[in-house]
Amino acid sequence: MMRHLQKYSPILPVLLAYGVLLGIGLAYPGKWQLIAQLAFYCALGQAFNLFMGMTGYVDFGYVAFLGVGTYGMAVSIYFLYDKGLGIGLIFIGLALAAVFSTGLSLAVGAVALRLRGAYFAIATIGVNEGFRYFVEGARIWNGADGMIFSRHLRKAVGRETAMTLSTQWADILVFGVAVLAAILTLVYMRNKVGYALTALREDEDAAKVMGINVTKFKIIAFITSAVLAGLLGASAWALKLTYVYPEDVFEIHYTVEAIIIVLLGGAGTLLGPIVGALIYGASKYFLAIVLPGFQLLIFAPIIIVIIVLFPEGTVGILKKKIRGTALEKFII
Amino acid sequence: MPLLKVRNVTKRFGGLVAVDDISFEIRHGETMAIVGPNGAGKTTMFNLINGVFLADEGQMIFEDVDVTHFPSYRRAHLGIGRTFQIPRPFASATVRENIAIGGMFGAAGSEVNVDEALEMADHYIELIGLTPHRDKPAGGLTPIEKKMVEIARALAMKPRLLLMDEAMAGMNPTDIDKMVEFLKDIRDKEGIAIVAMVEHIMRAVAGLAERVLVMHQGAKLVDEPTQEALSDPKVIEVYLGKPAEEFHA
Repeated sequence: MMRHLQKYSPILPVLLAYGVLLGIGLAYPGKWQLIAQLAFYCALGQAFNLFMGMTGYVDFGYVAFLGVGTYGMAVSIYFLYDKGLGIGLIFIGLALAAVFSTGLSLAVGAVALRLRGAYFAIATIGVNEGFRYFVEGARIWNGADGMIFSRHLRKAVGRETAMTLSTQWADILVFGVAVLAAILTLVYMRNKVGYALTALREDEDAAKVMGINVTKFKIIAFITSAVLAGLLGASAWALKLTYVYPEDVFEIHYTVEAIIIVLLGGAGTLLGPIVGALIYGASKYFLAIVLPGFQLLIFAPIIIVIIVLFPEGTVGILKKKIRGTALEKFII
Repeated sequence: MPLLKVRNVTKRFGGLVAVDDISFEIRHGETMAIVGPNGAGKTTMFNLINGVFLADEGQMIFEDVDVTHFPSYRRAHLGIGRTFQIPRPFASATVRENIAIGGMFGAAGSEVNVDEALEMADHYIELIGLTPHRDKPAGGLTPIEKKMVEIARALAMKPRLLLMDEAMAGMNPTDIDKMVEFLKDIRDKEGIAIVAMVEHIMRAVAGLAERVLVMHQGAKLVDEPTQEALSDPKVIEVYLGKPAEEFHA
């Protein structure tokens, strides 16, 4: 039993990091928005890493999963607000987000996961744009007019609760998604799924010869990562903002941010996405204060330098440094 | 009953017939060498046996199961293991994890959990003498060490048929002899049939194989006990060149 628990000890630094972050946010309400933004990046990186970091496949259409998740929550509140479900709407919204993102990931995965490496990346690059035009063109859920559902939420749960839901609980849910993503990552790492993913990331043909049904494991990682993205969209975007426009949520910019966060922190590591998210989120925030308007111009070369000099990411380097020490059990 | 029955198997790549109507059998626990000059179709034959390629014609029966249309991972579950000519360990995984992956997903895979596979791996690491490197990433090993990791990983799969692609290429005679002894030992202890593919190291063929299948231009030239095959005039002509006395005559 002890040994069994010890396998999962690397979750401790993760929980510590999220606990400290949440604590700072609660202690300094003025900084809550910054903390919420950092938590969003942590969750985004952690969810994205579960697929990209563990399989080595880069999904450029990833933000589409956040987008359909956002719509899952929106649809629940917009259409069911007068059914007397109260707070149950939120749970239905989260469930719909999971269902929508699973559906989309199966559809995308069935085609794109047959392709390898760069071909997969190219095949997925159009997914978010395609889905955006599909929603707009087919006028699904009000098409390009989007859905504004703050009124619906107020009617369903009352003014006070609606306020707390979008200003506090939405962000706390984001922390929840981040923790869930970290736990799933570690559980996968410690089980056959993780070993299969490592093998196929390193050499897909050799993995098959070893008896690994690579398609099955790729799909498992893809769906898990997609559902986490869906839940993240439902809480960080739909519940927090109480509106959704297709051009906002199917925006490739967020996929690029996810890639940067994972690479900065260390692809395939557990702690990496958190470190990457904190570095990225904090520097973006402070650069915007120090040099407003120029932050992206400055940020781009910094990221290029870091990624060229440290391809394994921050945690990748740290892991090498602590090999053979007691810390090895906690930092992976 | 043979372990593997290959019946009239043909594989074409466009207009090139890489393997041309080949039939042979592999018996339980025997060691066999597939030899032939470069381009004879040996690698294609290997890839057909373990399912990296599927045959265009013919049939393959592994222990009563028709595996002709099985992908490689399902053949691995039935007990066909393989090593590559250029070792392909999972570079970022440690030696121990590499070998454990073989145990987790190979023929014994369904009954072995992660912890058991890692423990099993220790046994094979000791067998190949790499205990000091147990927790190092396999990508940092020397080529010979990588080759040993690959053999251990294939053995951890608990195969009944082990395909070895040029396992002894690039080794010196002393290492070849050691490797031959190691493989014979494995065969005797674990009852694994070993099919080794060898291009030009006759020392390995003579030392290891009981039987030799010689391929030439995609077709089977002979399939005989080793000594007879190596002195067969047909083999000597296409493969080893003409006997020296004919040059002096």
